[in-house]
Amino acid sequence: MPERGNTPLSEQGSLPELNQRNANVMNLSKLLRAGIAALAITAAAGTAHAQTDVPLIESGSSLLYPLFNLWVGSYTAANPNADITTTSTGSGAGIAQSIEGLVQIGASDAYLSDTMKAKHASMLSIPLAISSQAVNYNLPGVASGLKLSGPILAGIYEGKITQWNDPAIAAANPGVALPAHTIVPIHRLDGSGDTFIFTQYLSASDAGWASSLHYGTAVSWPAVAGAVGAKGNSGMLTALQNNPYGIAYIGISFADKVAAAGLGQAALLNKDGNYVLPTQENIAAAANSVANSTPADGRVSMIFSAGANNYPIVNYEYAIVNSQQPAPAISQAIRNFLNWTVTEGNSPTYLNKVHFLPLPPAVATLSQAQINSIQ
Amino acid sequence: MSASVSNPSFHSDSSALALRRTIVSTAGWIACGIGLVLIIFPLLDIVGVVAFNGIAAINWDLFTKNTGGAGLGMANAIEGTFIITIFAMLIAVPVGVGAGIYLSEYGKNKTGSIIRFLSDVLTGTPSIVLGYFSYIVFIISFGWGFSLAAAAITIAILIVPYLARITELALQQVPNTMREAAFALGGTDATVVFKVILPAASSGVITGALLALAISVGETAPLIYTAGWSDYTWSGRFTHSPVAYLTYVIWTFIDQPDPHSHALAYAAAFLVMLVVLAINIGVRMTVKRGVK
Amino acid sequence: MKIRPFRLTVLGLSLLIPAALVAVVLFLVGYSGQAIAFNGFHFLTDVTWNLGDLYDDPVTVRGIQVPSGAEYGILVFIVGTLASSAIAILIAVPLSVGTAIFLAEAVPELERSARRSLPWLPPIRPALAMLVELVAVVPSVVFGLWGIVVLVPFLGHHISPTGNGYGLLAASIVLALMITPIIASTLYDALCQVPKENRESAFALGSTHFEVVTKAMMPMVRATLIGGIVLALGRALGETMAVLMVSGGGINILPTSLFSPISTIASFIVSQLDSAESDPTNMSVRALSQIALVLFIITLAVNAGAKLLSSGALNVRKRQ
Repeated sequence: MPERGNTPLSEQGSLPELNQRNANVMNLSKLLRAGIAALAITAAAGTAHAQTDVPLIESGSSLLYPLFNLWVGSYTAANPNADITTTSTGSGAGIAQSIEGLVQIGASDAYLSDTMKAKHASMLSIPLAISSQAVNYNLPGVASGLKLSGPILAGIYEGKITQWNDPAIAAANPGVALPAHTIVPIHRLDGSGDTFIFTQYLSASDAGWASSLHYGTAVSWPAVAGAVGAKGNSGMLTALQNNPYGIAYIGISFADKVAAAGLGQAALLNKDGNYVLPTQENIAAAANSVANSTPADGRVSMIFSAGANNYPIVNYEYAIVNSQQPAPAISQAIRNFLNWTVTEGNSPTYLNKVHFLPLPPAVATLSQAQINSIQ
Repeated sequence: MSASVSNPSFHSDSSALALRRTIVSTAGWIACGIGLVLIIFPLLDIVGVVAFNGIAAINWDLFTKNTGGAGLGMANAIEGTFIITIFAMLIAVPVGVGAGIYLSEYGKNKTGSIIRFLSDVLTGTPSIVLGYFSYIVFIISFGWGFSLAAAAITIAILIVPYLARITELALQQVPNTMREAAFALGGTDATVVFKVILPAASSGVITGALLALAISVGETAPLIYTAGWSDYTWSGRFTHSPVAYLTYVIWTFIDQPDPHSHALAYAAAFLVMLVVLAINIGVRMTVKRGVK
Repeated sequence: MKIRPFRLTVLGLSLLIPAALVAVVLFLVGYSGQAIAFNGFHFLTDVTWNLGDLYDDPVTVRGIQVPSGAEYGILVFIVGTLASSAIAILIAVPLSVGTAIFLAEAVPELERSARRSLPWLPPIRPALAMLVELVAVVPSVVFGLWGIVVLVPFLGHHISPTGNGYGLLAASIVLALMITPIIASTLYDALCQVPKENRESAFALGSTHFEVVTKAMMPMVRATLIGGIVLALGRALGETMAVLMVSGGGINILPTSLFSPISTIASFIVSQLDSAESDPTNMSVRALSQIALVLFIITLAVNAGAKLLSSGALNVRKRQ
């Protein structure tokens, strides 16, 4: 029998029954035909939509996704013929699909690796904005601003630090009443730029993590009992809400929702030894210290930079685009849109909503040079 | 036959045994009743939750506007599901009905049983395996990109075995006398099938097509990596152009933190459930079961 | 031999079905070749799934290029799949047997007594039987939606010791609901077709109604029941979306309790495919193909078993 539902046909065959059944089903199918006709008319009406520009698809980073939606909304309002689809699939997917040519713009918090760049020389990593990431926790009774360091976080995600009142955490937070409860580490399941920048922070500040687990859009998360995997930044937020005593790394564009859910935001230990929160100033401090050393191809890490107030997890948001597009119309559409994003799109109207920072003028120029190289 | 035996009339037996049997029997019935409740209640809950939230989210925008990022309407998803289903059926119905005809009329041999067996194997194949296959073969190797063609082919592969099996069963219902009469009147193979047998079995075949339609409207896993996603209605291209579909809205938008996306997810679930339940209930009510 | 074009045409059309299947199998086997060579038997026994350092240079191991540190082991997903399906069966079987028995035997009696006082009552048994069947047609993703918004919060608030509802239990419950109708409908049909003589002789011997069912009717449909259970197992093993949405995404660690986050093979393929694509050596994608092959073989074996069992049972249901 079919697994997806039993066949309601009788076992006995006889002519009067067949005729009766045929009559019944004919009525049903007449109804269905009418329904299909109605839908067909609707579909035809829908398909005959206005002549639009070349369709562009963007897929990738869930950290950039809220901003990208704001951008596309405004850009399409100003350019009604624009046809840009946005999807939140994770930076890993964004990179992969852009390389495969499945999408035109791959959004990613992670730049291309050396190997990928060597293998696919025409792929560009174009910085679009400066973003950041927070480490959030669900600790009822503990205020926001808990001090955590790279080694502590590495210990938590490796399963070496299992309780919230572990001596290491207590030492960093004198005077804070920490509950004696098991920590639930929450990590990303999908290929994630957030994982990339988080693990870069762990690698930069903890030698053990650097040698065993490295960094990347997908890492082999160590076996920790109860560790939860979530999809996308929104999945991380949901998982953190559902897991008391949990800890998660969530992109800054979700900070408002995190705060609204009553979840805490950690102050992270930076390279100079200070615990800093991801405020506008601290993120800007980190970005400015690295801005001048941004290479022409845009691929540079701003993680764990030196500076008294530098927030340690800061990154460029990249558009991963193939500089060789199949048709001039497509490259024109991409160039128009991306140039808009690094100029008008970089205004506080958009960026403030997601707590991002604009590109420094020198970097914006570099990005535009890359954009204009798209053929 | 009278089934009115409730109280056991074993007088001389130890009344402890009689009592135990009564207790066990009553407890047994209650347990069985609980079983029935435990399976019906979640269905009613699902329908209730989806209907309640879905209807609340229904408005005219849903059918006229596209999704556009954070969600305004779902016209593109509704149209996309429709288009994918239609094209999948366009591929699957000729193959499935043809296979059903072969298996029923000429397939009572070794070839037929091999085909039947392999068709059953295809039914049991997880849909994600088919989706993965299509992704690597059509999307990447053939270079079609996210495309309607790949999506339609994948769904067609998924539903063809059902169509074949149900068509075969339906054709089997037609009495042999009709076949013999048709051949005796000088009908060719094609005439006998198309003018005599298929019309007589039309209820069964249409049932099969409707059930296949219901299955394809509800599928997600094979479409994730073949149809991709688009915020716009279908561009008319069969390759290099992703298509929106309703189950994607359910799967992705329920995760987004804003209430508007949630509303869309429920509305999409409501529409999908409406179609699937309408087809299945309609089919079951118009085609009476042979057993009581 | 006369050439009959019509017969050849329909034969050709029907051969497309095995052709599609063969294409899928050949592809899976061929594409996984390199991965199979690299992984060896450890694939099935290793707990660690490590895509390797994708930001480092690839290395060559035994002549095959892989990311440095790559190690592909799927024991966690095999255990997740088997555990969730097994618990689902454990939940589903009593539910289905109870439902089928109640529908087949108790509902007619209740209907009869109800109709004495309310003669306008429409037929209840077919309606209830249809409701049970309808549970099976609810799409997987809608089950997942219900799981996320109803089941997981319920488990989290009321049952889970950690407050987290995602995990093995949630996945098993959702699976159980999806497969119960398969077993229940098959069993219900079989019970309705048990010859009247068996029932009547059992009653004549003084059994209670319940005893008639359990002692005289159920043994007759045992083969159908087992066939239905194995068929349901086949469906549970391949379920993707509902499990993906409620299972919690466990990786690199075997489940230790009902509330441990798990991943099943099917849900893992969906969630990993994009990460695998970012591997420059392409080995991860091939390893995923190997996983798909393993899943295919498992479901094939289970469904073949179901067919063998029920081909014996279906003899009970032949036309009389």
